[in-house]
Amino acid sequence: MDNILLLIKEGEFEDAELDDYSFSCYSQLEVDGTQHLLTCAFDDPDVNSTNLEFEICGALLNVKCLTFDKLQEMYFIKTKKFLLIGDSEIHVKLGGKNITSKKLNIVEIVKPEAPFDIRVIYRKGANDFLVTFNTSHSQKKYVKELMHEVAYRQEKNENDWMHVNLSSTKLTLLQRKLQPDAMYEIKVRSIPNANYFQGFWSEWSPTFHFRTPEITGRMDPVLLTISILSFFSVALMVILACALWKKRIKPIVWPSLPDHKKTLEQLCKKPKKNLNVSFNPESFLDCQIHKVDGIQARDEAESFLQDTSSQLDESEKQRLGGGMQGPTWPSEHAAITPKAFREDSPFGCLAGSISMCEALVQSSSRSPDCREGGKNGPHVYQGLLLGPGTTNSTVPTPSPFQSGILTLSPTAQGQPVLTSLGSSQEEAYVTMSSFYQNQ
Amino acid sequence: MPFAGNPSPRAGTEKVSFRYIFGIPPLILVLLPVTSSDCDIEGKDGREYQHVLMISINDLDTMIKNRTNCPNNEPKVFKKHACDDNKEGMFLYRAARKLKQFVKVNNSEDFNLHLSRVSQGTLQLLNCTPKEDNKSVKEQRKQKSLCSLGILLQKIKTCWNKILRGSKEH
Repeated sequence: MDNILLLIKEGEFEDAELDDYSFSCYSQLEVDGTQHLLTCAFDDPDVNSTNLEFEICGALLNVKCLTFDKLQEMYFIKTKKFLLIGDSEIHVKLGGKNITSKKLNIVEIVKPEAPFDIRVIYRKGANDFLVTFNTSHSQKKYVKELMHEVAYRQEKNENDWMHVNLSSTKLTLLQRKLQPDAMYEIKVRSIPNANYFQGFWSEWSPTFHFRTPEITGRMDPVLLTISILSFFSVALMVILACALWKKRIKPIVWPSLPDHKKTLEQLCKKPKKNLNVSFNPESFLDCQIHKVDGIQARDEAESFLQDTSSQLDESEKQRLGGGMQGPTWPSEHAAITPKAFREDSPFGCLAGSISMCEALVQSSSRSPDCREGGKNGPHVYQGLLLGPGTTNSTVPTPSPFQSGILTLSPTAQGQPVLTSLGSSQEEAYVTMSSFYQNQ
Repeated sequence: MPFAGNPSPRAGTEKVSFRYIFGIPPLILVLLPVTSSDCDIEGKDGREYQHVLMISINDLDTMIKNRTNCPNNEPKVFKKHACDDNKEGMFLYRAARKLKQFVKVNNSEDFNLHLSRVSQGTLQLLNCTPKEDNKSVKEQRKQKSLCSLGILLQKIKTCWNKILRGSKEH
């Protein structure tokens, strides 16, 4: 009875202690030549491991058990005598007494050695970065096949690691997936590939730092050529547009409406160069201008016309051909048939000092038929002279003209008076056409 | 006149020889399957063999070739036992036990460790319970040359490959 009670107490003691003495182990094969390393440590760092021992039994060559060595709080054993097949038992002993045990397989707790010599090379032609590293396991017999994990990040971005898994020792990073002109850091670690040997991640390799190149202004040659050609084409078009704007482009884009006065000037200018044709009265300032004092009645004009019709044609021709002759102008009369005048509008001009030409000009300027040019200046027809000093004087509003022949008849002052002959529309039309023909 | 009661010694010897020649060997042959046990082979997937045993066998082979020049004619090594069908386990069991006998003090530590690993590892993967065969053990002790070891290792390798091939086919 007492013995049974004692056993129960011992069991209780062991159960309580097992919780406190839990431990973990990892193995490293061929870590030193052909020697393997097994390392164990308590999970609780506060455990008093002063008199505690670790022992491994089973799956050993030529021996039953091996005792661990102790270094600070770590227990390790360095030996070649691991069978590497089957399970082993690790015992924690206190004074030769087994406190706790754990069954494990050496090949299932393998921790590889950390990779080393990680390097990054920029390949300009391929626009990528070649990452290479080395591992000591490539020379080992047992744990040869590993899975590697490469982690890289931009230095300024903390905790933003990118991870890549690979089984080889080379990795390619595309340049377009990295930030230009930035500092990066990269590291790698390994784990057994779980074919037969299994275990834990190794420690990280030393970090390597590299800088990505800047994006230069260098462009694709084809794109550069196209850009240059386009620039020169646009420049050429701008130059041509500026050069040909007035002569060719503007007349098409913004055609100018023909000015009847200018057109008439051009028509008159062509045959005789010395013919001074202008609608500007100021250009005739140096010419002798005979005032038109009054306009005779229609009857007188008609009778006069019959008499002088033949003479009038000849004189018209002469006058039209000669242009404005000033003092050589015949003083008897001058026939003018302005086409712009209205057919029905009576010719009205004040007698006296008011020049008929001015009235003619004023009314002609106000005539609704005078559409061309829109100029309101005085119009001077050939053979019609303005009286001196009358250009700037105010002229009362004359009545609209009647289409007909205006004749200039001499007054007592020796100035010819322009009288309305009251010619028909056909004669006026004919006169204008003959006027054009004479040109 | 011959003595009737006493048989001639020559006639008796002939009878005894006849029994030993024609009597006992067939009995042994009949009883041999009874004496041999079936072995359960673990690790038929070949992981332990490929990752551990084969490495030690290859290392031992290299060490042997570096130390001796073995003749082309094959010495009589383990002739009695072969990796026959359905007897691969037993063959490996016996071969593994024989390997232990090649462990010598004058060998290098690595050499002995590899031998031990192949031997012990093979035995760990087999679940055999044969009887002790003292006669075969004595005969095996005679053949301890490195060339014999090399041949034995090759036979072990061949038998393992046969086991793995068979497991893949099934």
